Amino acid sequence: MVARTVDQTEHLGFMSLRSGSLRAVLFALIWWILTDGATDSWLVGAPMVLLATVASIALLPPSSWSLTGIMRFVPFFLWRSLYGGVDVARRTLHPRLPIAPGLFYHPWRLPPGLPRLFMANTVSLLPGTLSAELDADYLQVHLLDEQKDFLSELEMIEQRVAAMFGISLPPSSRGE
Amino acid sequence: MTLGDYLSLLLLIAGAIFFLAGTLGLLRFPDVYTRLHALTKADNVGLGLMVAGLALQAESWAVAGKLLLIWLLVLLAGASVAHLVAATARQRGIKLWRR
Repeated sequence: MVARTVDQTEHLGFMSLRSGSLRAVLFALIWWILTDGATDSWLVGAPMVLLATVASIALLPPSSWSLTGIMRFVPFFLWRSLYGGVDVARRTLHPRLPIAPGLFYHPWRLPPGLPRLFMANTVSLLPGTLSAELDADYLQVHLLDEQKDFLSELEMIEQRVAAMFGISLPPSSRGE
Repeated sequence: MTLGDYLSLLLLIAGAIFFLAGTLGLLRFPDVYTRLHALTKADNVGLGLMVAGLALQAESWAVAGKLLLIWLLVLLAGASVAHLVAATARQRGIKLWRR
């Protein structure tokens, strides 16, 4: 960050203002939930919300995101979670334990930071996949059943996460 | 009992079944990685169903919100801890079980 033009600085200032106020609303909502909406708690709550907002902006710089992306992610996540639960329950209850574990190196297409972390966590919660290790180039994914179509599962997660953060992905390097 | 009560009952029982399956997976699966699969997936759904069942009985929106918040925090903790356990196992050179 050497020479930032006036335009960029203004843009960044606008971004922090926008995400700052959004985060403040979110923290206020959490406070309201935690205190069951007790009116007299805001004497403590208001400064806490302010403090939390300042701390969050300092620790996690504002990033872009898309509301439609988030609204599409939620039903996708819920549905795949249910599927994943049923899938793993079926395998544990089956007398012959039908699993065929394997390991897959998924090359990153998402930018570093929050999008990658978000994908790694989603991968661990959705059917048949578990984030084992992540480095600069790859996400190591442990597979419960390597015969299953895990590639499309991973690609689907990647696309949904990218849409949430308003990122357009580079074309797949897998080249099929 | 009202219709809502029956729905709550159904969701709670379904949630308990998923927890049971997850625990059974912890006992039956052969290595640390596969056991993590059983726990993260089954508990995610199990707790989600229980939270949904309890939220139907909530007296206020704040209580329902609190239940939702609990589910989200457990998801975050579950996924992060599963990743940490798996990454540590990989770094210690624990081989994965193969059929």
